Amino acid sequence: MGELPHRPGLHVSDGPGSPATINERFGVPEPLVRYSGGARGVAPKTHPFLRFCQDGLAMDPKHDALLEELRTRIAAATGDDELRAIERETTGKGGVVQGLLAEIPKLDPSERRAAGQGANELKQAILAELESARGALAQAAVEAERKGGDFDPTLPPPALERGSLHPVTSLTRRLEDLFESMGFQVLDGPEVELDFYNFEALNIPADHPARDMQDTFRCDPAGEKVLRTHTSPVQIRAMERLEPPIRAIAPGRVFRQETTDASHEHTFHQMEGLVVDRDISVGHLISTMKTLLREVLEVEPEIRLRPGYFPFVEPGFELDARCPFCAEGCSVCKGTTWIELLPCGMVHPNVLRAGGVDPEAYSGFAFGLGLSRLVMLHAGIDDVRHLLGGDLRFLEQF
Amino acid sequence: MYISMRWLARHVDLDGITPEELARDLTLSTAEVEGLERFAPHLSDVVVGHVTHRERHPDADKLNICTVDVGKDDPLQIVCGAPNVDAGQRVAVAQVGCVLPEDFKIKKSKIRGVESRGMICSERELGLGDEHDGIWVLPGEPAIGEPVAEALGIVDWIIEIDNKSLTHRPDLWGHRGIAREVAAIYRRELRPLDSDLGPTGDAAPLPLRVESDACSRYLAVGIEGVTNGRSPDWMRNLLLAVGQRPLTLCVDLSNFVMLDLGQPNHLFDRRRISPEGIVVRDAREGETLETLDGVERKLDPSDMLICSGNAPVALAGIMGGEASSVQDDTTELLLEVASFDAARVRRSSARLGLRTDASARFEKSLDPTLPMETAGHLVNLLRELQPGVRVTASPSDEGTWSDPALTLELRGERVRSLLSPEIDDDEIEDILRRLTFGVQRSGSNFTVDVPSRRSTKDVTIEQDLVEEIGRIHRYGNVPERRLEAELLPPPRDERRRMVRSLEERAAGAARFHEVMSYSFVEDELLGRLGIADQERIEVVNPVAEGVSKIRRSVMPSLIGALPQNLHHRDEVRLFEIGKGYLPELAEEEGGEPVEVHEMGLLWSAPKPKKGASFDAARRMHLQAVVADLVADLGLPPIRWAACGEDEAPPYLHPVRTLVGYLPLSIQAPGKKKKGAPAPVEELAVIWLGDLEPGIARDLEVDADVAVASLLIDGLLEIPRRPPGYNPIPKFPAVKVDVALAVPAECSAGDARGAIEKAGKGLVRSARLFDVYSGEQVGEGRKSLAWSVELQAQDRTLSDKDGAKFLDRLERLCTDLGGELRRS
Repeated sequence: MGELPHRPGLHVSDGPGSPATINERFGVPEPLVRYSGGARGVAPKTHPFLRFCQDGLAMDPKHDALLEELRTRIAAATGDDELRAIERETTGKGGVVQGLLAEIPKLDPSERRAAGQGANELKQAILAELESARGALAQAAVEAERKGGDFDPTLPPPALERGSLHPVTSLTRRLEDLFESMGFQVLDGPEVELDFYNFEALNIPADHPARDMQDTFRCDPAGEKVLRTHTSPVQIRAMERLEPPIRAIAPGRVFRQETTDASHEHTFHQMEGLVVDRDISVGHLISTMKTLLREVLEVEPEIRLRPGYFPFVEPGFELDARCPFCAEGCSVCKGTTWIELLPCGMVHPNVLRAGGVDPEAYSGFAFGLGLSRLVMLHAGIDDVRHLLGGDLRFLEQF
Repeated sequence: MYISMRWLARHVDLDGITPEELARDLTLSTAEVEGLERFAPHLSDVVVGHVTHRERHPDADKLNICTVDVGKDDPLQIVCGAPNVDAGQRVAVAQVGCVLPEDFKIKKSKIRGVESRGMICSERELGLGDEHDGIWVLPGEPAIGEPVAEALGIVDWIIEIDNKSLTHRPDLWGHRGIAREVAAIYRRELRPLDSDLGPTGDAAPLPLRVESDACSRYLAVGIEGVTNGRSPDWMRNLLLAVGQRPLTLCVDLSNFVMLDLGQPNHLFDRRRISPEGIVVRDAREGETLETLDGVERKLDPSDMLICSGNAPVALAGIMGGEASSVQDDTTELLLEVASFDAARVRRSSARLGLRTDASARFEKSLDPTLPMETAGHLVNLLRELQPGVRVTASPSDEGTWSDPALTLELRGERVRSLLSPEIDDDEIEDILRRLTFGVQRSGSNFTVDVPSRRSTKDVTIEQDLVEEIGRIHRYGNVPERRLEAELLPPPRDERRRMVRSLEERAAGAARFHEVMSYSFVEDELLGRLGIADQERIEVVNPVAEGVSKIRRSVMPSLIGALPQNLHHRDEVRLFEIGKGYLPELAEEEGGEPVEVHEMGLLWSAPKPKKGASFDAARRMHLQAVVADLVADLGLPPIRWAACGEDEAPPYLHPVRTLVGYLPLSIQAPGKKKKGAPAPVEELAVIWLGDLEPGIARDLEVDADVAVASLLIDGLLEIPRRPPGYNPIPKFPAVKVDVALAVPAECSAGDARGAIEKAGKGLVRSARLFDVYSGEQVGEGRKSLAWSVELQAQDRTLSDKDGAKFLDRLERLCTDLGGELRRS
């Protein structure tokens, strides 16, 4: 610690006879020339210049010589500091003018009036000279500033480091905001899920081949608890908790027991969507999916629905969107001009029943959007492992 | 699954349908087509050549110099080493520039001084078989110069269908099933299939006993008079087209029939089957069988066996056994066509790690009426090839199966309300008939007969019929409808709001980077952090050893992400908001493990230089960030306290760790009672500290690292500051700087307490701006310099107030064993 132990402040002074001085912050700066105050018991000092003025007073009541002398000094001044010093020496407290005025009582009464007038005129003249000099100096400063000095437009500015949200978070928020604006509720569900919610209630009984489609992490040998393989369990949890009409989305992470490589990851993000109401139809699904894609792709989406098999919907679809990257087929759409974007369908009556909803009275649709995949498509990310890799060189780009 | 268009055309007329159209229409109406490819496209570059002359190579015994007419003015001279090449043959010629399978490019060359302009190909070189003893002599008299594929009529397109999209369609696992869809889509006739077994001999039927209840039907047919050998070219080419390697007639035929009808079947060498006959039973513990792939399989009672007498001869539904397989000299066959329980086959094949074309089909719940049709089809195909073939006896047919065909009611209104109002009853009826459903109509209601091939699993409820209508009607023709409902905002979700606010503030104001880590934590990392022994949920089938545990907190992964980032960055600011799981609390929650929501922050920067300001440590900066995050949530200020050594997680500094407390209740404003305030119940919701030095060294982290954890569930319990504002002070504040020289063990908190006390309610703020210890304050002492603002609500403070404050402070300083420094 190189600094002094204490800084200027309100200190208790130890000088005899001198009470606590006012803190520098609030105090008045010491004048360069102090008019002989006497009161403080300090011997008055007389400035040589003042002496010069006093001497001249008798012979030149208009002080032309003095003024001429000051003009030369003012003209030579290169900064406001100097002007202020001159101002203090002349018109300030303890300055020349005050000194002159103090001499007046010593004069012959007949001379007093002229001397007083002369001193006042001198003061005004000095102030006018100073004012004009200040104006000239300020103008010169502006002119100098206008020249721009050694301006180098290519000098790098200081880096203002920023923070970032994960791209999956950003996309999730966009979608949450969109769906909330349409009256959807955003729900959350556990990542460690019971077999019942992840499979059974979704019309995927034990030994169903669809269980092979989703390589499942089991948390116990029997698989009573699993890491959820999709966000669909939230459908059941939503129906258990809420009464129709239900409109909900549920973003979150899901897990598949899969070896990772650039395009496969055992942990990724999905967003489930569920609408249950009277007379919900495929047309509602199409309309909602188009709204979703309009937000995500930022263009009027061209979509197609084709049959897709998922045990928890009937009928079930795969929704493809026209590839936004090409017209004739590219690596993203594998040459088909269509990108498989989201599985969806009409909620299977068994699933409605499992959620305590009467399939004769209500129908619904559900969809599952691959958030991780969408983020990758959007940003052109070619390796899914970047998403959960925790590498700042990746994260700080978003 | 691969589908050959030429094969399809055996069942349905494909005239006028291009491969692209077919692929698109199957995708839109039936199942996802993943690929469309020409079968052996090089066969359109390889042409039919006529060997007009052959002579020995002058300098090589085994080489021939052939003159080959390929339909151009100038015949080609080709040097050929095949022993069977001869003048007069029609052969397959790969000309210079042609590319054969495995990227084999034909170039002009000189072989032992003789120029050769092309190659006369063997079957193997063309990817049409294993034959490589000689060149392929083309059958018949195909037109010279024509591409071989066209000349032999084997131009074919292969459609690859995504197996996953067929999971629910046992009827689509063969060409005939797909052909049935094609017929429905394009309104074409499905050609009839001759599946009548025909006359049978009068030998005694083979004894057959089905003991396992997982075999609902077992059909055994004896066949004699067979000559095994090479199967006909048409069959070989179709099998090749769908990626099957042709072997011998019996193997090819069995495969062909499976790929044609979707029903697996098996041919045993009849000689190897005991006169005791066939027994279908569960395997016994420890029993073994050598399957056709030459692997000895250890079985258990969950597997099912086909036995000859007591000896296992096949793994039911999965693979035949080596010992009973058909040989080159086999003339008598036993054909097995059976129905096995889908779940049972699936489990068994998963357990044995043996997935075959047969098991994949059985897993889908095959139609139990299909075995008889399959047997008839196979026998008829064989009879066409070898008219002398006979069925020895009437088939043995055992099992408890019953016809699964069923009848469903379908309401036209239901179709319109679920699908599209534009679908009328006539269209419904038309589509169902095209899909071979039986239909009776009564007004808008339909009684629909579902054939057995569709009813085993796929079509069992009304909605399944709606799907059938939708996919043929095409979903693209369904008009959009907007959702309509009462306008109501969704209910408030406090946790999500909080998470959003934290994320935004951390990434924005605090400039942290959000990271998402895996929910799995590596054992190695847990070990390094000294928390390996904590209870965690664990998966039994991890992707790799040592990554089976589910995190309790986001902190370990956050710390784990540090070393890699320090290779590239001097400063690392990370946060994560995520879930952790505490299994020990599962009981309280009815068996579901308790889920906790947490925000973790990590800030790492180069260690402060010697002589840096007292608050240069990352820990203190992180404290400021956390305080800001909490304030932004509208919560009261945090009370920080030292964390007991045993309370902090082991990866935190044993001393330099703090706990942040927030009050569980808020005192009503303006009702301050005199005397000591009632103690407020607090919740520890934050801990924050330096990374434990030993762990930092272990992680090779040489930096100033602070971490913090905010328990979101706890923060949610803290009442927000009540709304309101403090009036702008009417009277000016007086700023006073003071330095307290105190004993080293006196804390900043003590000093602050003294200042507050000395101010008697006038201290509006007190900011520590310097801490100094050294010569100027003397051994065992330190100087704490504060900038204090004094302000009163009701008057302007005078110099006297300042003087009184200083006098009081001086006395209090003395009480602390120190002094107020004067300048």
